[in-house]
Amino acid sequence: MEDAKKLKRLVKSVWVFNWFNSCGFTEILPVVGSRWDMERFGMIPVASPRHADCLIIAGYQTEKSIRRAQRIYRQMPKPAVVIGLGSCSMSGGMYWDSYNTIKRLSDYIPVDLYIPGCPPRPEAILKGIMSIFREVEDHA
Amino acid sequence: MHEKEIAGKIGRKTGMKVDITRKRRMSVRTDSRGLREFCVCAKELGFGHLSAVSVTDFIGEGEYEILYFLWSYQDGLALTVKTRIGREEPSIDSVSDIWGEAQIHERELHELFGVEFVGNADLSELFLEGWNQTPPFRKDFDWREYVRSRYYRNEGRERGYFEVEK
Repeated sequence: MEDAKKLKRLVKSVWVFNWFNSCGFTEILPVVGSRWDMERFGMIPVASPRHADCLIIAGYQTEKSIRRAQRIYRQMPKPAVVIGLGSCSMSGGMYWDSYNTIKRLSDYIPVDLYIPGCPPRPEAILKGIMSIFREVEDHA
Repeated sequence: MHEKEIAGKIGRKTGMKVDITRKRRMSVRTDSRGLREFCVCAKELGFGHLSAVSVTDFIGEGEYEILYFLWSYQDGLALTVKTRIGREEPSIDSVSDIWGEAQIHERELHELFGVEFVGNADLSELFLEGWNQTPPFRKDFDWREYVRSRYYRNEGRERGYFEVEK
């Protein structure tokens, strides 16, 4: 209830650009769908990083894809929030000894928030989203 | 046609011995110089689809084995063409003009094993950008050492992963 009141005071909706090139999208799909439904909080996946406030990077990134992710991040209007979703973005996950995947996302992109789990529960993702809202409020 | 008929036909046409490994599965071993000639014959006999190309690194024998997996839609038969080349400066004729789908397979194998496919129009890098090491799928590529020095050089925590291995 307290959170719902806070949400009313939000200055703007948080639009999300997804950059998933591993299993990540299937992990966040329940949150996009109707059961957990992030859209009721005003979070919409947008088609261009230039419209986005939040970048969700899910799973491991390869050496090739992290360069694209950096390029996407540079295109986003600042301030922008970057979320690393899942264990792989934090430590490489099961690809910890792969020659072609990066191990920690924050070595390459300024990450504001990691959501751990393999996969993260939708509740964990919602909790992460809630902390973005708090962040937005604090800066409002 | 059954596998025996096809095997006989290929044998008469090219002089190669075709092994029938099991029902509807055949394999043939060919010289790397006679490969293209054989492939043209195989395509004429109905093997119009190249499913995959793969390389196996026999480091003890100093050789690469290159396998071409063919499929015949009209007869429902699979044929594996095996050929061997030396693993130092490996080079083989491309079959991308016989089966267009070979192009991307050869490009990938060029990247992962360093095999030069002579005649392939585009062997540029595919997954690895700016790779300047030994091709990563070669068995003499020390990926463990590479990962350690590339990603974990300043880390105390992750170093433990590697020490457990021994």
